[in-house]
Amino acid sequence: MPTKIIEKEIEKLDFQSGGEASSQLKNKLRKLGVTNAIIRKTAIVTYELEMNVVIHSEGGVIEASVSPENLEIIVSDSGPGIKDLDKAFTPGYSTASDEIRKLGFGAGMGLVNVKRYADKLNVETALGQGTVIKVIINFN
Amino acid sequence: MNKHSVFLKEDKCEGCTNCVKKCPTKAIRVHQGRAWIKENLCIDCSECIRTCEYHAKYTQTDQLADLKKHKYPVVLVPPSFYGQFSADIEPGKIKAALVRTGFKKVYDVADAAAALSRKTFSFLEENKGSFISSSCPVVVRLIKLIYPDLLELLLPLKSPVELMAGKIRKEIKVSMNISKEEIGVYFLTPCPAKLTTVTNPLGLKDSALTGAIGVETIYQKVLSCLGEVKAAEIEAYNTLDSAVIWGQSGGEANILKSKQKWGVISVTGIHNVKSVLEEIERNNISGVKYFELVACRDGCVGGVLNVINPFQARFNIERRVAQIVSQENGANKQNKLGIKFNFDMDYSFIADNQDILDADFTRAVAKLALVDKEVEILPGLDCAACGAPDCKTLAEDIVNGLANRSDCIFMLRKEVGKLADKMSNLAHELPPVMSRKEEQHESKTDS
Repeated sequence: MPTKIIEKEIEKLDFQSGGEASSQLKNKLRKLGVTNAIIRKTAIVTYELEMNVVIHSEGGVIEASVSPENLEIIVSDSGPGIKDLDKAFTPGYSTASDEIRKLGFGAGMGLVNVKRYADKLNVETALGQGTVIKVIINFN
Repeated sequence: MNKHSVFLKEDKCEGCTNCVKKCPTKAIRVHQGRAWIKENLCIDCSECIRTCEYHAKYTQTDQLADLKKHKYPVVLVPPSFYGQFSADIEPGKIKAALVRTGFKKVYDVADAAAALSRKTFSFLEENKGSFISSSCPVVVRLIKLIYPDLLELLLPLKSPVELMAGKIRKEIKVSMNISKEEIGVYFLTPCPAKLTTVTNPLGLKDSALTGAIGVETIYQKVLSCLGEVKAAEIEAYNTLDSAVIWGQSGGEANILKSKQKWGVISVTGIHNVKSVLEEIERNNISGVKYFELVACRDGCVGGVLNVINPFQARFNIERRVAQIVSQENGANKQNKLGIKFNFDMDYSFIADNQDILDADFTRAVAKLALVDKEVEILPGLDCAACGAPDCKTLAEDIVNGLANRSDCIFMLRKEVGKLADKMSNLAHELPPVMSRKEEQHESKTDS
């Protein structure tokens, strides 16, 4: 029975608080005594997913739950949806605008990094409706 | 043996919460009007010493009298110590004055810093990825405690002080033929954190140091000895490596930058260091190969055991470095005995795992839920009047049985209010048999 340890709304283009959810989650995992490698993976995965919502979507929610075996992160947004999933997982591919790139984001590595650190990854997306990304990181 | 070097003078503590709020690891709580430091969370950063208006936090370093315990006491001088003197005073004079305070010999940690910089160059060349300087013990302890996932980024090499202490121990043993116990290797420390590394070394089984003497305890004596120093004494000590720049903020980075090969940044001040570590953790800093992170805002010259204003000290060091560079006397590196620095640590840095809710994962998860609930109940003002730095920390303390909800004055007020309402309601509720008698009684007492 997984226990939800975080649920946080993410606002569109809110760069000021973007990263807060991943920070909070990381601190909670540390308080739980989760190992370093897991915390590092989680920090990178959640930050990428959180910033994806900030940059590309109309806003969304990030949730994380733990069980003795693993950590489950679900990020859902009401955004435009991902047009081409294969391309989205191609290193360097990005649909971010020039303005966003000027801020140092949109390098096209977001989902690539998520995939690299996730033990399980599931993406459900519908054009014009939104995207739900589920990541599982195993503790062992 | 003490685990840390920062202590509380109970009689001086007023029980204000200034240090509680400034502590970067939330290690201080006020109980019974005194600001106690939680040993397992303290990283010896000195923020509480800096913050306390009543000088209730202090450091106990070794004293000159301790030298008498050893046949051959020597001292290691950190680069920052040169910031305590005008650049017009020759380095040889300062070191000769130190000899006069009771040491057999004086060594510059700057020499080890120069060697470490060269070693760091080759390390960065051979290893992929970014690295964090491990020379500031506060930064290493901070990472061990709060950012354990970044431990692998710490440069796995000894700090300049340990490098120097290890090397000279061997040198003295060979050249003087005396036993380990007869050699006393003291470090002239600018901060409590480096004092702690003597008893609690980082990445080493044992420190090569015997002890550490705070700059403030020896400074007056050195000043008064300066006048007595003779020309011949100066000659023996008059070299100083330009790596003395390590003593100020950005010093280490400055040397590494000189090759212009990698991105190197310098971040000083414990709270700035924390914010950069957060960003490194998110993988959100790009193009940087090496981070010089130092807990004190001005670098080691900003250590609380120094005497001179840190800005003045930085100025002094900058002038001194300029002099050395122009004279090029920093190149004078004879190593007569051929003893080399040993850069290797005994173990890798390990996580502290001190800041956890419970050692048992399932119990920790349950406690985390209770903490979240408690945070909802508490007012969220982070006023620290309860003695904890913020509501979240109080919530954790409550869940761990270390504090009560009524420690919060707002919660207490609310409870008292509820109780008062209840009392007033009860006062008006009389049993039916009493009501007539009560009326009679009241009219009697009124008349």
